[in-house]
This record gives sequence, C-alpha cells and structure tokens, in this order.
Amino acid sequence: MYLASRDLRAAKGRFVLVGVVIGLISFLATMLAGLANGLVDDGISGLRALPVTDLAFAENSHAVFSRSILTPEELPAYEEVAAETTPIGVSFFNARPTAGSADAETIDIALFGVEGDSFLTESSAADDDTDMAAAIEGGLVLSDELAESAAVGDEFTIVGTDITLPVVGFTFAGTYGHVPIAYTSLSSWQQLLYGDDADGRFSAVAINGGDADALAAAAEASGTEVLTKEESYAGSPGFSAESATMTLIRGFLLVISALVVGAFFTVWTIQRTRQIGLLKALGASSGYVVRDALGQLAVVLVISIAIGSGAAFAMGTLMGDGAPFNLPLGSVLWTAGVLAVVGMAGSLVALRRITSVDPAISLTAGV
Amino acid sequence: MISIDDVSVSFPDGEQTIAVLDHARLSVSAGEVVTIAGRSGTGKSTLLAVAGLLRSPDSGEVMIAGTPTSGLAQGRRTTLRRREIGIIYQSAELFPSLTAVQQLELVAHIAGDLDDKTRQRARDLLTEVGLSRRLDNHPSKLSGGERQRVGIARALMNTPSVLLADEPTASLDPQRGREVMELITSEARERDLACVVVSHDPTHADLCDRSLRLEGGELTEIS
Repeated sequence: MYLASRDLRAAKGRFVLVGVVIGLISFLATMLAGLANGLVDDGISGLRALPVTDLAFAENSHAVFSRSILTPEELPAYEEVAAETTPIGVSFFNARPTAGSADAETIDIALFGVEGDSFLTESSAADDDTDMAAAIEGGLVLSDELAESAAVGDEFTIVGTDITLPVVGFTFAGTYGHVPIAYTSLSSWQQLLYGDDADGRFSAVAINGGDADALAAAAEASGTEVLTKEESYAGSPGFSAESATMTLIRGFLLVISALVVGAFFTVWTIQRTRQIGLLKALGASSGYVVRDALGQLAVVLVISIAIGSGAAFAMGTLMGDGAPFNLPLGSVLWTAGVLAVVGMAGSLVALRRITSVDPAISLTAGV
Repeated sequence: MISIDDVSVSFPDGEQTIAVLDHARLSVSAGEVVTIAGRSGTGKSTLLAVAGLLRSPDSGEVMIAGTPTSGLAQGRRTTLRRREIGIIYQSAELFPSLTAVQQLELVAHIAGDLDDKTRQRARDLLTEVGLSRRLDNHPSKLSGGERQRVGIARALMNTPSVLLADEPTASLDPQRGREVMELITSEARERDLACVVVSHDPTHADLCDRSLRLEGGELTEIS
C-alpha cells in the first residue's frame, strides 16, 4: 500500500467526503439494527423470557394465542414426553383503575394466566420478595414497565367484565405484541375470558424440555401443533410484518452502501487509469495494483464504518425508554462487518477495471 | 542488450490495416546509445512499447538481456520489465502524491525489496542527477527539468540493462533539454546500458552513437 496510503493523504478531501457518506450509512444501518432489535423485543420479550422450550397450540392457529383454544384433554400427551408442562392462557385486555386508585392510569395488558404451582411461576422472580405463586392467585403481577402507571394495592377493573383485580406485585415480565405483560392465575384468566363456562380451557401448553420427535408424536396424537419458542414469536401481533419491514430497509441500506462504494471507487479508478498504467509499466503486477487499491478501500471503509457505528452505539446507549431500541455490541459488530463486506463487494467492478488497464497507455498520456 | 528482430505491428483503420512497424530490426549493445527520429504518428511510441514489453508485436522477436520474449506469459513479461528495463517518459510521469525520493522507493516497493539499502540508493541516485536538495519535494514543487531528472533517476532505480526514453526533452526548453539528454547518455554509458532514445529533435544526435529514422514502418540508419 505504498502509493495508496500516500494517495489517501494527498487526496484527503475526496476520501473524507466518501468516508462521511459511508459513515452516515453505517450510522443509519446501526440505528436501524437497534430499532429492529428493540421492536422485536417489544413484540416478544415476554415470550422470550418464559422458561419454556416449546409451546403447543391448537391446530392451524399458527402460534396466535387468540386463535388457539385447548382443553385439559390435550395435556396428558405432552405430560408423558416433556420434562415439564403447564397450561397457559394469553389474551389482551384493557384495565381501568377503580375509583379508589386515583393515581393509577388505564392500562393495556397482555394477560398471561398461569397456574400458581407451575414451573412458570417458580422460575419468575417477582420484585419486593413477592411470592409469585401465591400472589397471582389473588390479583395481578404487573410488568416492571407499568410501575409508573400503577402501584401495589391499586385495583383495576378489566374492561368488558365486572371483575376487579388488585395489583399484588411487579416482576420482569417484558412485553408481548408491544403490550406490557401482567400475570394472573389461570383460573382468573379463564373467568375473565369465559366466565363460568371455562371448562378448563386455555391457550397453549407451555413445555420445558423434551425430545423433538416425541413432542411431534404427542402433537399428532393430541391433534395439536407444537412449535419451538422461537418459532412461536411469529404469532406475536405485527412481529412478521415488522421484521420483514426492518429487514427490507436494512437490505436497501446495504445495497445503497455497495452502490456508493462501488460508484466512488469506479470513478476514482477511472481517474487513476493512467497512474495504474504507469504502475504496471514500472513492473507492478495486477495483483500488486489490486492489493494497493483494496488496502486503500479497506482503510476508508474501516475508519468510516467504525466512526458511524460507534456514533450509533453511543447514541443508542444515551436513548431512554421512549423508543423501542436495543443495540447489543454483537449487533453493532455484525452490522459493521456486513457493511464492510458489502462495500468491498461493491468495489469489484472497479477492481475488474484495474486488472484490464493496459500499461502501454503510460507512453501515450500524462499521469 | 536489446534486440528487435523482424518485428511487425499493425493497427486496424476502418476496413484497412496500417502497418506501424513492418519487419523492423534493431540491435543495441550494452553501453550504446541509439536515437530514433521520425515524424509524429510514424510509430515511435509503438516501437518503444514493444521494446519495453508493454505490448506484444504481431510477429517477430524481442530479446531483452538475452531472453527471448515471444511466447512469454504476461507475468513473466512483467517480471522481465521490472528487472531489466527502465523507461523515461516525455513529461516525467511522476505520481503527484509522492515526493521525489518516494518516486524511486516505489520502484523498490514494487520489486518487493524496499529496505534501508534501497532507500539509500534512491537518495544517492537523486543526488547523482543533481537533486540532493529536492528529495522531499512533490512534483508540483519541481521545475520541468527537475521532474525529468527524477524520471531519469527512477528509470535507473531497478538497475536495468535496457534504458528506453520517449521524447525526454520534448517538454523542456533547448538548454534544459540538452542537459537532460547529456545526463541520459552519460548515465547509459557509465552504467553500460543499452539505450534507445526516441526524439524528433535532431540537435541531440551528436550525443548518441547511432541515429535511426522510423518511416513507413521501417528503421533506417541516418548517415
């Protein structure tokens, strides 16, 4: 990189210009990665936090809890093959504070109904030393995110029913479908959804451990469908559309990045055609010239991507809870790496041009 | 030495073909300086491109330092050029981002042997051509004559056995042109190089051992 490094210093202006453009693209791509992660978290963090490996749904419900209605008759097939199983009910509700809870606000909740003595409550550590198993029998254990909208002791009437439940504690429960989760007992959930005609119905079977083939056989025997926890994310409201949109935007950014880098280095190479011819006339092989150009490109890409991604990472850490944003270092590095690879790929057109430059042009034109 | 034997090069011109070199022959021994004159467009640069292994002839043989080059793969031709041939250009053809000494170091870097010894050699060569005070100047800070001197030093950097010069005085005033031509011929003789200088200026013929004219694709001796 003898010539390339000196060209970088001599033509600072144009390299800074393209570096700024690549840096901005990198910044935008990294911020979008944070937003995409944040949106995903906002959609399924509650489901991801559940200590389950698989979930069994009613057939053809496609992991959508509201479409899945199971009865206790479907449980035994899974109890025989899984290490732990328990029924779970999931529905969205609007909860209005009662008159005695003047400071509380009306809240939307994704209500998870679970059995108090199940492995789901045993592994959930509620705040303030709340005994989760005992607490949900009498009311609502809310997600931490609702701590500013309610307090322990507030009472909420579930809209559409006359049932009032007190807030008995808070825990990290996350969100589902962008709505904070609240835990209650399965019986309370059944009462809210079906009244006195519940007949033990629930949304899905939460499963922890179990051979995949055995679970598939159990699903066939019980007329249900079993999905891994990760597969179940697709049933979260808006999850697939949001993921697809974010993937599309990030894809476009990568394509734009490749085009910007490719266009810049193609123009730069055209401008340097006579220089390249002279280098070859001096005895440089095409490999030497390509290594020189690639080294130059790598320096520009690495510096601008590092600055752009670094700025996005710094901004991400400063962002509050107002926007769904989650940007782990691994995601930053992955985005930066992909941008670098795509940028290098974008320069392939320029590299092809470099190899085809005729050294004889050094005798016919000025450098 | 360099030997061009029965070399032909032609270019298409519409439906016709123009023979730029027509069975041309030229042999230059070590330490000999030959000048080639000719009108514009008669193929002088093509002759240098063939002699410098920058392009292959349609037929004939070019031998550099005893090595026949027809049939050599591109990589071998590049290696031979890097080791055996130095080229001086009409307007120096220096890299704008490199200082005078770096222009020479680049040659060593391309050859893969840039070290303290070759760095010192670059400085010595520039000192020899009278640029000891201009080592760290970029081309934009050098005069036309100084740039051409850097070009001469660069052509000598790889210790070639063949020195080719393409109109080296064309962009200089007569006095500077004469000085540059004297420098080229003296360096060629001192280093025992086979030297071919393409020039349309007949006033430098007295500095050379032989003068040839390229016309109609053929090289003829000027008495």
